[in-house]
Amino acid sequence: MIITRKSLPRRAFLRGLGTTLALPLLDSMVPALAKGGTKPVVRLGFVYHATGMIMDRWTPATVGTGFEITPTMKALEPFRDQMIVFSGLAQVNGRALGDGPGDHARGGATFLTGVHPKKTEGAGIRCGISADQIAAKELGKHTQLASLEIGLESQSLAGGCDSGYSCAYTNTLSWRSATSPMPLEINPRRLFERLFGDGDSTDPAARLSRLQEQRSILDYVAGSIDRLETNLGPRDRYKLTEYLEAIRDIERRIQKAEQQNASLKLPVVEKPGSVPEAFEDHAKLMMDLQILAFQTDLTRVITYVPAREGSNRSYREIGVSDGHHSITHHQNDAEKIENVAKIDALLVKNFAYLLERLKATPDGEGNLLDHSIIVYGSGTGDGNRHTHHDLPVALVGGGAGQIKGGRHLRFPTETPLNNLLLNVLDKAGVPVDNFGDSTGRLSDV
Amino acid sequence: MRSVIPVILIALIPLASAQRPTAAPASTGISAGISAGISAHKALTTQYCFGCHNKKTKTAGLAFDALDYTNVGADAAAWEKVLRKLRTGEMPPPGLPRPKVPAAESFATTLEGALDKAAEANPNPGRPAVHRLNRAEYSNAIRDLLALDIKSGSSLPVDDSGYGFDNIADVLSLSPALLERYMSTARLVAALAIGDMKMKPSEEQFTPLRDPPSNFRRPAAIERASEDLPFNSRGGMSFEHYFPVDAEYVIRIRATGNAQNAPPPIFEHRIPVKAGLRTVGVTFLRESARAEQEAPVIRGAAPDTTATPRSQPLPAEMDLRIDGAKIKRFQVPQRAGARTDVANIIIGGPYNATGRGETPSRGKIFVCRPAIAKDEEPCAKTILSTLTRRAFRRSVSETDIRPLMAFYQRGRSEGDFDSGIQKALSAMLMSPDFLFRVEQDPKGAAPGTVYRISDFELASRLSFFLWSSIPDDTLLKLAEQGKLKDPVVLRQQVTRMLADPRSEALTTNFAGQWLHLRNLATSKPDPQLFSTFDESLRKSFQQETEMFFTSILRENRSVLDLLGANYTFLNERLAEHYGVPKIYGSHFRKVAINDPNRGGLLGQGSILTVTSYPNRTSVVQRGKWILENLLGTPPPPPPPDIPELKAHAEDGKVLTMRQQLEQHRANPTCASCHSRMDPIGFSLENYDAIGKWRDKDGDSEIDTSGKLPDGKTFSGPAGLKQLLLASYRDDFVATVSEKLLTYATGRGLEAYDLPSVRAIIKKAAAEDYRLSALITAVVESKPFQMRRTPGS
Repeated sequence: MIITRKSLPRRAFLRGLGTTLALPLLDSMVPALAKGGTKPVVRLGFVYHATGMIMDRWTPATVGTGFEITPTMKALEPFRDQMIVFSGLAQVNGRALGDGPGDHARGGATFLTGVHPKKTEGAGIRCGISADQIAAKELGKHTQLASLEIGLESQSLAGGCDSGYSCAYTNTLSWRSATSPMPLEINPRRLFERLFGDGDSTDPAARLSRLQEQRSILDYVAGSIDRLETNLGPRDRYKLTEYLEAIRDIERRIQKAEQQNASLKLPVVEKPGSVPEAFEDHAKLMMDLQILAFQTDLTRVITYVPAREGSNRSYREIGVSDGHHSITHHQNDAEKIENVAKIDALLVKNFAYLLERLKATPDGEGNLLDHSIIVYGSGTGDGNRHTHHDLPVALVGGGAGQIKGGRHLRFPTETPLNNLLLNVLDKAGVPVDNFGDSTGRLSDV
Repeated sequence: MRSVIPVILIALIPLASAQRPTAAPASTGISAGISAGISAHKALTTQYCFGCHNKKTKTAGLAFDALDYTNVGADAAAWEKVLRKLRTGEMPPPGLPRPKVPAAESFATTLEGALDKAAEANPNPGRPAVHRLNRAEYSNAIRDLLALDIKSGSSLPVDDSGYGFDNIADVLSLSPALLERYMSTARLVAALAIGDMKMKPSEEQFTPLRDPPSNFRRPAAIERASEDLPFNSRGGMSFEHYFPVDAEYVIRIRATGNAQNAPPPIFEHRIPVKAGLRTVGVTFLRESARAEQEAPVIRGAAPDTTATPRSQPLPAEMDLRIDGAKIKRFQVPQRAGARTDVANIIIGGPYNATGRGETPSRGKIFVCRPAIAKDEEPCAKTILSTLTRRAFRRSVSETDIRPLMAFYQRGRSEGDFDSGIQKALSAMLMSPDFLFRVEQDPKGAAPGTVYRISDFELASRLSFFLWSSIPDDTLLKLAEQGKLKDPVVLRQQVTRMLADPRSEALTTNFAGQWLHLRNLATSKPDPQLFSTFDESLRKSFQQETEMFFTSILRENRSVLDLLGANYTFLNERLAEHYGVPKIYGSHFRKVAINDPNRGGLLGQGSILTVTSYPNRTSVVQRGKWILENLLGTPPPPPPPDIPELKAHAEDGKVLTMRQQLEQHRANPTCASCHSRMDPIGFSLENYDAIGKWRDKDGDSEIDTSGKLPDGKTFSGPAGLKQLLLASYRDDFVATVSEKLLTYATGRGLEAYDLPSVRAIIKKAAAEDYRLSALITAVVESKPFQMRRTPGS
């Protein structure tokens, strides 16, 4: 009910506020490093599609360059040349493997990790480091924020999340380590402040002095943690270690900000208010902020979860009043299948907005989409049967010239999705030997 | 029948997994004697259990031939599972031969006694992890430390939850994003609490909760919007706002559009306001309350204004009030046939600050005032020591204060004394000693040592359990003196704390999550089907259940009254909804309920709404809610690929919900759970999806009769209540106890906690299961007072 507004907005541009005036690209906003001559910077995005798809409406029948645009991917048609559609990929660790129900919690938790999450409501939460966080560790060295994790749905307020899995598993796809989940930010105002600070001014000098003031507090806190830790056993330490790691993150950010202060001018924008009521407004506002984050090179890694795995949001705006999760258990009822397909297409269309904005945003010699790799997909294949193989997956973006789009690639069934994620990490300049259940890289990507 | 068995067993496995096998270490010697009676029942287990649960089949991971009958402590987790299945009658599965009741009972009693004795001889109180304050705890701590309400909802994110609660230490993580939130919140809190004269003006917008557009009968615009507004007012809104310093503020009111295609009119007023929390209200004078002379005066040929609705109506009179006093009256033009209302209110400021003001926050912080320069440093030390002791919840030393004094000095050199304190305060709020609850093992304790936590740690456990906040001075003082652990003192403190308004936290945080009451805020009854549902009813639902739970807590009532009470709390709106006559006005009052269907939680709109779908009731959800939250036997989630309910029979005839579910239960996979959920849910079918009584569902008659798998029959809400209280009382009490202990310790319960749960129930039974007695027993339990070092 309460929103704090900045009192000095000169130019509103954010869609969710009802105005659509785009922020003109000021040359000063483009970070020095992205200016002509230097190699373009690759940005990574991971965008989630909740609870699988009606697969025969998504998967093209034809493999190779001649694949047809299917009904569900209609909105992606303009990006066909920069898109690869994948079939046959799997996250088999999303399966029960003796743990009983909880496929949605596992579908989300495995999507970027390939690790079977430990079934627990709390004690000993454990999954595995996720691809976006592997990238963030490396790419974060160049930016103020290592990564952003963004969502649209509020947390369950009471009553548990999924069948014996703590809500920590369903509230993110991103794991900084096997024991540290990175919860999603759903509030546009908080996201804005994360990016541009909560100060009274976006003036770089004022921001910098604020950041420096924070540094002394961080030193004090780190000292207190050290003192506390000496009295603690190793099993109590990890919580405080988490705190210490977060502090190191902010310290690095302050350092970065000092280095960039001369070259990086932040845009004059109006702070968004509270969470917009309509799904579409909320989604667009959060995507606009993602564009800003990439554009100003505040981060190079974003994970975006418009709807959580197993979400039961009802999309009344397209005439589907049943909850999404409920009707994914369609039992081959034609009407329900039709409605799930409608939701699938809506979510894909929503994703297309992000791509449009990326494409419309100049970046060096090209645009942001040319220099991005966005992985779009789900940790569930067929929501009706809770399968974790034959997942819907697509990769969009030029990857700074490294991606040959316009193709549909089919891999042997149960090929780990993590193999593709290894390819993606390679192209982002973060090669790792393996992670999760990867068995190698995909050929021809 | 045989083919059914494996399905049932699979379905029951998740229940068993509620107790994870974290067996307490076996101590030989004493335990053997304790377990002597168990071997006598070996024949019973061999006859009725062994068929499925043996080393070969290992159904549900249980093998009786692997259990030690002579030392139950060695396999406590497995035996606890056996005990629970016996007690709840879930095993052996329906359709298989069962032992005679006396034999089963005798076995259960012996087993329980043996398990309790084993735990007594070798207790394991568990080990809560390091606990980051959650959102509610953080903002309550700020409230109690600095007398400041920070409305944490807008600054801090919702915490992850586990075991049904959001105060579970293992789950409360800290990401860089959250750390940045803490930094900016700490800065803001310090600025507001001190009254920062250099604060830049900003704007805050307040928007009234709007009802969904529908044909609801009474638009908010004609009702009095709040108890804080005058009787003869209508519409508008009222809210609390914190004015940080004595200064001028601009209040800008935007009215709803009242002329077609015209921008909504904006009314602005700039006034000096004294620092502090104030109630800002904007409301309209009721037309009926207007003075005679304000009647329309129309010059020339006067048409009859009452007969021509198209004539220009009088402007509405809108009053701006601060703390009840009228500040300014605005004339708001109105359009014919529409009542204008407030769209939103923006408060901007501070401008031209004149002073820091005298606020409760400043009163609390500035326990001394330096008269001359050389007093400053000692006074700063006094202030910071006082605050730090409460924020860190323990005695503080020079080591704690020294680094904060450095912040003070920096702030002092850049501004005045108060600025120095502000700077130190914003650092203190980032300290791990404030943000985390850390309990320390005794130095050099061997692995697996069980010890009593320190008095300071006990004070924190108490205050975070009962108040979701930091201990007050009384608790800290008792802890300092080492008296808190004294059983008599401890009991007195629990009584004192429950009587304190801060114990409201048990209602909002414990009951709010246990009963899923928090979900009410996001439930969305279909406005087409339930046109009487609006924000005012939602608020009333919430308030009824909160006041009801609080009355059970404060009036020393039995938890059984949660189900069976013959009273509730109503205002006019809610009474009308329930069909209770002669309740007038918007304030809530205690009302006796003679209708046996309505009294207790199961007759309250809140619970009935959160267990319904937006467009209809859900027999299954209501049944599941009761099994899970009242009886502690949650059905496992449905497997994927479940057959859907079929709305039509083979011959095309429309089926009632009862017929549809009957068909569903014909499938044995479904029957294993639905045979328990459905009858319970059906008994509540007289309540629609927003808890209104109905005799018919559309055109079809409602059949509320039901029969549970154990053969018990009942009918209607009153029948269900009677059944729960008569036949399932122990399950209900056990469930409340387990939820309370989970919430109190901030960790999931393990098998080794169950003897403590039984001890809690026994103590409370001696006091008629009063909620306060249950809470006291939780406080007196081993898991609450003790801790165990890691390792064996």
